[in-house]
Amino acid sequence: MSEARDTILAALEAARPPAGPEPERVPPPGMPEGAIARIEQRVQEAGGRFARAPAARWPTSIEWPTPLAQIRHLYCSGAAGHPEIAPRGVGEGVHDLQDLDPLEVCVLRGRFVVVENGAVWHVPASPLERAAALLTDHLVVVVRAEDKRATLHQAYEEIAASQTAFGWFLCGPSKTADIEQSLVFGAHGARTMQLVLLDEE
Amino acid sequence: MRVALFIPCYVDQLRPRVAFATLELLRATGASVRFEPDALCCGQPFLTAGEERHGRALGRRLIDLFREDDAIVMPSASCVATLRRHLERWAPGPEARSMAERVLELTEFLIDQDTETPALPFPHRVGLHASCHGLRELGLGTATETREPPRRDPAAQLLSRVPGLELVDLTRRDECCGFGGIFAVQEDAVSSRMGLDRLADHRGGGAEVLTSTDLSCLLHLEGLAQRRKMPMRLLHVAEILAESSLEKGWDHAVRDRGSLS
Amino acid sequence: MAESRRTVHSDRARRFVADEARTRWHDEALWFVRSKRDAAADQVPDWEALRTEAGGIKRAVLSRLPELWRQFEEEATQAGAVVHWARDAAEHNQTVASLLEERGVRRVVKSKSMLTEECGLNADLERRNIEVVDTDLGERIVQLRNEPPSHIVMPAIHLQREQVGALFEQEFDCPPGITDPDTLVALARKDLRARFLGAQAGITGVNFAVAETGTCVVVTNEGNADLGTALPELHIACVGLEKIIPETRDLAPFLRLLARSATGQPISAYTSHFRGPRADWGPRGSELHIIVVDNGRSRLLAEPAFREALACIRCGACLNTCPVYRRSGGHSYGATIPGPIGSVVEPNRSPSRHSDLPHACSLCGSCSDVCPVRVPLHHQLLTLRSHLSEAGHSPRGRRWALATTAGILRHPRLFRSVSRWGRQLARVMPERWLERWALPWTRERALPPIPAQSFRELYSTRARREGGLSKSDRARREDGPQAP
Repeated sequence: MSEARDTILAALEAARPPAGPEPERVPPPGMPEGAIARIEQRVQEAGGRFARAPAARWPTSIEWPTPLAQIRHLYCSGAAGHPEIAPRGVGEGVHDLQDLDPLEVCVLRGRFVVVENGAVWHVPASPLERAAALLTDHLVVVVRAEDKRATLHQAYEEIAASQTAFGWFLCGPSKTADIEQSLVFGAHGARTMQLVLLDEE
Repeated sequence: MRVALFIPCYVDQLRPRVAFATLELLRATGASVRFEPDALCCGQPFLTAGEERHGRALGRRLIDLFREDDAIVMPSASCVATLRRHLERWAPGPEARSMAERVLELTEFLIDQDTETPALPFPHRVGLHASCHGLRELGLGTATETREPPRRDPAAQLLSRVPGLELVDLTRRDECCGFGGIFAVQEDAVSSRMGLDRLADHRGGGAEVLTSTDLSCLLHLEGLAQRRKMPMRLLHVAEILAESSLEKGWDHAVRDRGSLS
Repeated sequence: MAESRRTVHSDRARRFVADEARTRWHDEALWFVRSKRDAAADQVPDWEALRTEAGGIKRAVLSRLPELWRQFEEEATQAGAVVHWARDAAEHNQTVASLLEERGVRRVVKSKSMLTEECGLNADLERRNIEVVDTDLGERIVQLRNEPPSHIVMPAIHLQREQVGALFEQEFDCPPGITDPDTLVALARKDLRARFLGAQAGITGVNFAVAETGTCVVVTNEGNADLGTALPELHIACVGLEKIIPETRDLAPFLRLLARSATGQPISAYTSHFRGPRADWGPRGSELHIIVVDNGRSRLLAEPAFREALACIRCGACLNTCPVYRRSGGHSYGATIPGPIGSVVEPNRSPSRHSDLPHACSLCGSCSDVCPVRVPLHHQLLTLRSHLSEAGHSPRGRRWALATTAGILRHPRLFRSVSRWGRQLARVMPERWLERWALPWTRERALPPIPAQSFRELYSTRARREGGLSKSDRARREDGPQAP
């Protein structure tokens, strides 16, 4: 295949347009007033739920998609670790990632949230964690309230410095409007997504 | 100020009263106005049909004809847009650039002249159809999809000075009417559908009269309206302004609504 | 005006538009998406500056493609991915097929990739007995219906819920008469979940390839690209040459513009960044293969008038705003990518097949105004018409008619007599004859009333009546150029 490579690179070289002006960079907006309220609004617009809770007691401070005690299959990221939540059922570990299919709730710890769009930057700790986030019915993502960035500009400065192998922005639950522009949640991934901002006390 | 009137082929052939209205409006500004009879076509039909090489010879001729004029005014936003954008490509050089800078659409020209306020009422509900060329090529008005700072709309401003004239609201303020040059003929089904949707919007807003800075849009919409016997009167902006601002009814008049020019 | 030669888009569009109710529904649905885009743009005070920034980055990239792709390849390889190169669709398909066959893969899931559509990948794999399931819901629907997508972001926008219900009744063995979108989506979710769990490989497109780190960024709302790549051990990412951007920080302006332009959302539900294969899980270790595809892109790069179209980020905003697309539907274009951007790139790739597409445009210019990277689409469409004609793709009849008209216009006296004759003839001709001769204008429109005299004639008559030229005319005649 290196013949293809050489041909393509040569074609690009031959067709190279003269260099033009450098792009004009837009200075990114700063952190707005009422950032938390804005995050809440964006998350809700994206079909997600929003909660704010004290870090030490958050599992009992939020509304779970099903009552915590009744959840049979729960995955919890180590980083979200809280003494009151323990993984259960398939969330305790599986041999094949596909076996995570029955997962009901997946709890993740996000690195930061972006104010302009309500998205959370998350770096899965393992392939298991990523699969759990996708196969689960319900997603709960906790982020410290102080870990917020105004826009994607500020977000990407941080991401650029971190060099992760896989990372993603998550915003609201999985959704589609492919049938007559009618918005439906839970297309393939999580049916519900809750963002929980944690206040350190 | 020496102003030349350039009347495009289709206005000349199909609606002389628009040309007369334009001529009288220009004279009323006090400028010294001449009509250039040998300027026939701006080249737009060839451009849109994909034969723009024919525009080149036409362009060079136009440059010669209008060399001495301070301003060249046309009652057609699309023709002005064609010259402003393409003349220099067809006949590269400072002369083409000079002409491209001197050619103006009628309302663009009028808005900056210190003319008297219109005196005669035009007591009708009027739908102003935004010419796509006027809006997006000449920057006359603000397109609804843009977030640039708002630009003035000379036609709307001039019409709103006319006593009794009420501009109606539309649901899609700047959707294309579907004329598009050769498109009207080559894609007549979609073109007609687009025009009918525009007419429905104007009628929905209560318009009795539909106007525009482009006669081509109006002939297309008028054709659709007449075939369906819609009670809608289509007039070029020049006709409305002339009716309202010129004291004696000018003889190729809008007043005589039934007749041809 | 003789009837012009029929072109493919206009034929199909005529059939589409004949169903008035459906056309209105389709037009309203897409206008709604355009309105959502407008509302989203309102949220971003520096919207226009962002468009300039994003467009500027893409333009600068066009002058640096060889070194950027070399950098991408090096970085991606270092991260553990394997980078392949494909000159054309056949080479692309062969590369994918080989990767799958070498690993005994028979069940593949694929997320939305217009590039794989362009290459006809699905048909190729099916010929080799490899099952490929499109997992984007809209794509799955059109795949089951055996038709191409009609929009690059909303593949099934041309279908109403009853049609989807009828399809699902057939395919998923569910009770008849279901039209509620929630129920329909739930049915699809169940079916596709089984596909994801059983897939042996996942194929995705790439929205942005970042040279600095060798990262592929994939954007979805459904999470289907992620489900397709999180479970199987093989991920094949197909990327066109134009998708590369220099640095991670460059993702910001594009991602701020993309979802807002496409669907009116500030960001989509999943924005995934793949740098190297997934960490190992299980005995067989994971692989990421990236196929970099040319298929006509380097040729487009060589065209000064059209190369800017390579900046396209496939948001679909131009389709949503286009009054012609909204009233003719994606299938009328007969090309992988419809709408304004399709009408620029497709005729550039295959001039003889798609020479009609630049004419499927009323030149309104709204597309250029909504394009997040400022591709001057309507100017390109206009220029492309003359390019295609000069390359011999215009109907001979039209060329002749226009050359004749141009000839007449170069001679004012000839023009005056021809037009006078023409007008007089039109005025005496029986109306029915005139209407037939003036087709297609007169299919839906009355002809304008033909005046007895042109403005020129009336003006010079009036001038003679008023005793010669007006004072200003006379004064100008003395100084100005003389008419022939």
